[in-house]
Amino acid sequence: MRRFGIIALALLVGSVAGLAAQKITWMSTQFVPIAEAEFVRNEILAPFAEATGIEVEFIGAEYAEFVSRVEAEYEAGKGEIAVLCGLHGDFVSVLDALADLSEVSPGGTISDTLMKLGQMAGKQAYIPLMQATYLMVVNKKALDYLPEGADIWALTYDELLQWAKNIYEATGVQKLGIPAGPKSLLHRFIHGYLYPSFTGYQVLAFDSGAAVKMWKYMQELWQYVNPAAPTWDAMDTPLLSEEVWIAWDHTARVKQAIVERPDDFIAIPSPAGPAGRGFITVLAGLAIPETSPNPDAAAELIEYLTTPEVQVKILQGVGFFPVVAEAAGAVPSGALQILAKGVSAQAASPDAIVSFIPGGISDEYKKIYKDTFFKFVIKGEPVDVEFLRSQATRLRELYLEAGAPYPAPDGG
Amino acid sequence: MDVRLRKLLGTDTLLPYWLLLPSIVFIGVFFLMPLFNAIMLAFRADNGAFTLDYFKKMVADVRFIEALKYTFLLAITIVPLQLITALAMALLVNTGFRGSRFFLYLFALPLGISDLAAGLIWLSIFTQHGFLNSILYSLGIIERPIYFISYQNTGLTFLAVVMAEHWRATAIVLVILVAGLQMISKDYLEAAEVLGARGWKKVWYVILPMLKPSLQSALIIRTIFALQTFAVVLALAGDIIPVLAGEAYFWHFLYRNSHVASAYAVFLMAISIGMTWFYLRFLRSRMEVIRG
Repeated sequence: MRRFGIIALALLVGSVAGLAAQKITWMSTQFVPIAEAEFVRNEILAPFAEATGIEVEFIGAEYAEFVSRVEAEYEAGKGEIAVLCGLHGDFVSVLDALADLSEVSPGGTISDTLMKLGQMAGKQAYIPLMQATYLMVVNKKALDYLPEGADIWALTYDELLQWAKNIYEATGVQKLGIPAGPKSLLHRFIHGYLYPSFTGYQVLAFDSGAAVKMWKYMQELWQYVNPAAPTWDAMDTPLLSEEVWIAWDHTARVKQAIVERPDDFIAIPSPAGPAGRGFITVLAGLAIPETSPNPDAAAELIEYLTTPEVQVKILQGVGFFPVVAEAAGAVPSGALQILAKGVSAQAASPDAIVSFIPGGISDEYKKIYKDTFFKFVIKGEPVDVEFLRSQATRLRELYLEAGAPYPAPDGG
Repeated sequence: MDVRLRKLLGTDTLLPYWLLLPSIVFIGVFFLMPLFNAIMLAFRADNGAFTLDYFKKMVADVRFIEALKYTFLLAITIVPLQLITALAMALLVNTGFRGSRFFLYLFALPLGISDLAAGLIWLSIFTQHGFLNSILYSLGIIERPIYFISYQNTGLTFLAVVMAEHWRATAIVLVILVAGLQMISKDYLEAAEVLGARGWKKVWYVILPMLKPSLQSALIIRTIFALQTFAVVLALAGDIIPVLAGEAYFWHFLYRNSHVASAYAVFLMAISIGMTWFYLRFLRSRMEVIRG
């Protein structure tokens, strides 16, 4: 009965949309908070309607609503929704219902790394729209101590170690900062940065030989990490007080430091390990359902949303970073420009290994990564393979219990 | 009392129970029910079956032994220290010198500050660019900041936590002891003086024995609170010093496993009950000796 109702509604709205050809509906799991939705309607969609004559109706939706509606329209073979916006994981759930966007051209240059993430089930399932990530922020004073030959835009973990060591030997102070407090995002650093960079995976190689090397590396690096690190939840304050000169954290958690002193800081990509440059991308994209009533207008909207100007607007309005290379240069000077440059460089790294945040499993996985760090790094106990093995078993159990796929780069 | 009301409430013997009822309801709803729920969560799996898995998980937790160690270390360091300080302060206030009331209020001041705020106040003293380092530096005593809060020096970090807790929670002991001191009849003291007891002798042989009930309550309350210490440690020492109450909090709010969190809470409760029993037994027997 409910399905029939949806079909009837879809048919009705579909025919109405057919009459007023240039009105399309955009359903999104992003920009859902009222303030953000208003921003999108007034600042992004209103100018688009003026320029193209295409009126876009924006509908915010929760994940469950998003999936059930897209599936219902797909099964009905006819739909009302013309464009979709969601996180990578949202699209994975409705892959069949999405049209191939190989022919749709974005309004700017999107790096291959990001574009490829949108390629699933043999098609370009979505076009990346915006990203959030974690990177390194550096006080310019630290640049004097950079090891010879190191490129700050393509740093390796070995160079980071040498760099922190240089600073320590010259100043007598541990100026490297990793947020390791109880409410920090340390687990992201471990599963999304360290593990992929050293082992190529965030789950599958948890207890591998490469992982043992990685933990030994961390023990060495930790000597040059500020000893107050286990009390820090975010790195903006220690950066501002100059307790640290080099710090890793989420963009939102370092932003305040750069806002207050934009001339003192630069944002750079996270380092690369033996396997590559592991980093987390929270990636949102745009898709067109197979049943879109107006795929041409939808493609036009996608092109518009991926132009550098609109990408910058999104950054300023909701804090998500551009995926388009040209946008980083188009951000007005200040904190956002500094961060955008770093985010953009990280996303465009040729040796990138993109990690996704685990979804659908118990939050206990965070504890598994953090506990291992606590034991080997903070407590400094010798790296114990037996312990790694038992933690790895528990980690895999969590995925098994939830029936969830391993996140990229491992699979899924 | 109105006759009808008396009829309604039953005989006079029932009246006290009626008067107690509101407190009993309050305790029932806000203490006993959550307590019952926590115990259920700790022992029952999601499918309703009885299980000890959550306790096994708690004991197997990498941080469990550390948390247990620090919880006890904190309690056995802080409680005696506070008792001695509070006793000295209470005796001072009780001498009734001019301005002694001012000192009472001054000493009780930290009572009005939330524990998290107290932790943050002390954090601003002990960080690398905190007040203490600034003072030492400006006096030329140190050349670069000392890391008081550091995983490399857990001893110093522990000391910082002890100082903060000592400052924050000694007042509650003080208030209990001052109340106890004021209940000691002047007659005893005068009698002691007549018999030639002066100064410390008076304190040792008259005041302290008579203060024992207050000391006992203060000890029980402070020990239970010390075992639950959490906010000050979290604010000051972050992940450097794990404590049991903190682990319960993390399991609940960060790792979203209320079962293991409840296991921690129940374990903590068991320790508190054990300690209380110990105090009651231990101190009572000595009381009887004195009275006898």
